[in-house]
Amino acid sequence: MSIDWSWIGDHTDDLTSLTLSHLQAALTAVFFGLLISLPLAVVAHRIRPLRGFLLGVSNVLFTIPSIAIFVLLLPVSGLTRTTTVIGLTVYTLVVLLRNTVEGLDSVPARTKEAARAMGTRPLRTLLTVEFPLALPVIMAGVRIATVMSISLVSVATYIGDGGLGQLFTDGFQRDFPTPVIVGVVLTILLAVVADALLVALQYVLTPWRRRRA
Amino acid sequence: MFELFKNLGTWLTSGGSWSGSDGIAHRLAEHLQYSLLATLVAAAIGLPLGLLIGHTGKGAFLAINLSSFGRALPTVGLVVLVFLAGGLSMLPVYVALVALAVPAIVTNTYAGMTAVDPDVKDAARGQGMRGHQVLFQVELPLALPLIMTGLRLALIQVVATATIAAYVSFGGLGRYVFDGLAQRDLVQVLGGAVLVAVVAVTLDLLLSTLQRLLSRHRAA
Amino acid sequence: MNRRTLLGGLFAAASVPALSACASGITSLDSQGSASGGGGSSKGGLTIGTANFTENQVLGYLYAAVLKQAGVKVKVRPNLGTREIVIPALRGGDIDLLPEYQGALLNYLAPKDDSSEPGTMQNALTLAMPAGLQVLPYGQAADSDCFVVTRATARKYGLATLADLAKQNGRLVIGAAPEVKKRRVGALGLKDVYGVEFKEFRSLDSDGPLVKGALKKGDVDVANLFTTDTDIAAHDWVVLSDPKNLIPSQHIVPLIADRKADDTVRKALARLGNVLTTEQLTQLNSQVDNDKKDPEDVANAYAKQHGLA
Repeated sequence: MSIDWSWIGDHTDDLTSLTLSHLQAALTAVFFGLLISLPLAVVAHRIRPLRGFLLGVSNVLFTIPSIAIFVLLLPVSGLTRTTTVIGLTVYTLVVLLRNTVEGLDSVPARTKEAARAMGTRPLRTLLTVEFPLALPVIMAGVRIATVMSISLVSVATYIGDGGLGQLFTDGFQRDFPTPVIVGVVLTILLAVVADALLVALQYVLTPWRRRRA
Repeated sequence: MFELFKNLGTWLTSGGSWSGSDGIAHRLAEHLQYSLLATLVAAAIGLPLGLLIGHTGKGAFLAINLSSFGRALPTVGLVVLVFLAGGLSMLPVYVALVALAVPAIVTNTYAGMTAVDPDVKDAARGQGMRGHQVLFQVELPLALPLIMTGLRLALIQVVATATIAAYVSFGGLGRYVFDGLAQRDLVQVLGGAVLVAVVAVTLDLLLSTLQRLLSRHRAA
Repeated sequence: MNRRTLLGGLFAAASVPALSACASGITSLDSQGSASGGGGSSKGGLTIGTANFTENQVLGYLYAAVLKQAGVKVKVRPNLGTREIVIPALRGGDIDLLPEYQGALLNYLAPKDDSSEPGTMQNALTLAMPAGLQVLPYGQAADSDCFVVTRATARKYGLATLADLAKQNGRLVIGAAPEVKKRRVGALGLKDVYGVEFKEFRSLDSDGPLVKGALKKGDVDVANLFTTDTDIAAHDWVVLSDPKNLIPSQHIVPLIADRKADDTVRKALARLGNVLTTEQLTQLNSQVDNDKKDPEDVANAYAKQHGLA
């Protein structure tokens, strides 16, 4: 099995647009995952009876094969990027929900009580005390969700989308390893870079942890 | 809405669906076979690796970051690549599944090992135990809960992903999803998805209950 | 996990299908803007979709090349999936134009129709068209499904026609794309017309590496391929003949949404249809599959060479 380097040279435009398309799908899914999971996590964290239910639902959703979710969404949103993003969001949602609940759980009760004793209203406590303290665990979730999302985008090639995943079906159909190798390498690269950027972001967002070190 | 559910119910409960080479019983058996074998192989690779890194402390970077790398690996790409390199066999499927499972096992084994109280290890060494004795008689038993969690998580992930066997013509529950996609038969797709979820959740429940019973037994 | 999480699990199991089932009722957004036959316009641009096999992509890019030459803004979405996936996408508006095959399309839309002659089929197709779609005149190039065995298998079981397969009922394994299991030009039709029953149907792909690899390895005895595949001759595979005309003639025919069908499009595609021969299409496919050239490049080169673009 060998790489056709000239193919890579000839296709830099295509590769660039596929990579950008791939990234867009993954990031959109993480964004919507956050949008939905953050309020949901607060609910799960604060209302005990719903917590088990919500976490249970998300655990089960996580075991559904991604290709099945994409296919089942076809009647809903057709062969479009929307289908891909909705499908991906199911998974980012699960990861982000788990981690955000865990993060909120990790905030010491004493700290919340102190805020309450000072007269801070619950919403303000949430935004200025709980979330910042939960940030490390939440960010860990964002990292996991982003990397996972980048990997999952390629499954959508089976419904005509897939970003870099299209290189896999193309190489497969023609018995041509080069696009497949390039696709795998670029996907991993994308994930590694995204992960590194998120680590940097976490560092910037949590100055109090820096001072301790 | 009820149409889809009703048809799914019919499909799942009719005898015809369960028998034959494309029957649920057969596909279920294939799926479990792929999952268990892949997890076993992953354990054979991941456990020694995790134990070694945890015991010696060297290569911690690998143990911590292997998970990220494993998560970034696109399974479709890996399956296609190995298929193109090695031809039509189950190898691509097993390579992808093992690659998926090893990080979870290594990371959790390593986490289990690092959770062992260093004082206990020192005490053991103070008593004259050699390296491998400390490893097998002290560290491993104490790390066992997290190691077992790692194995359980790996198995569940593998079960959920073993559908990829269908990408390269093999069996398992993924066959229903893939064929259903091609035939635009949503009942089949849903059936496959539901069956995978049920198997994964059932295994998870069984194994975590087993874990709890074992730890209670050991604590007593 | 406790009871609550189990309950949660059941809810989850219900939520995904509920979501998709709810929307099944609102399936296709058939454009009712124009009666079939006219009134469409390609001015706003046109999206060409193609199915998941090489030749369809070559055809898609050929359509794109001639349409671009005619001044139409074109976008190609290649490799979307099987006909069962792509046609609903056409009806729903995700794509506007699709290269199709007469016989296969007719079987999909009107399974009971058994016309086999191109002219009759074109009429039957027009009658069977769902609202909002139409077929344009068919081109001279054709590509049919065929059922193929290795020369060794043919000798071993004395196979020359599809009827001969029935003599080996329960013994042979057939390999084809998953959707072929339920198609008339497929396992279903072989049973109805020739009384053939296979030992096993292996879901592989549409004349791709899986089905050809399986045939080479001996994992399947019979393979469903396409007549424009140069691998058949290259490997000395035997195409089983079809005395009862189960497999209809499959001239290539553009399937388009009414809203985009205008004279510019019709003229451009008709020019292509009159020029492209089966021989030439076979060669183009080979350039993509064997020479690893891009379908788009191959199509553009052909169009330029033949004064179409």
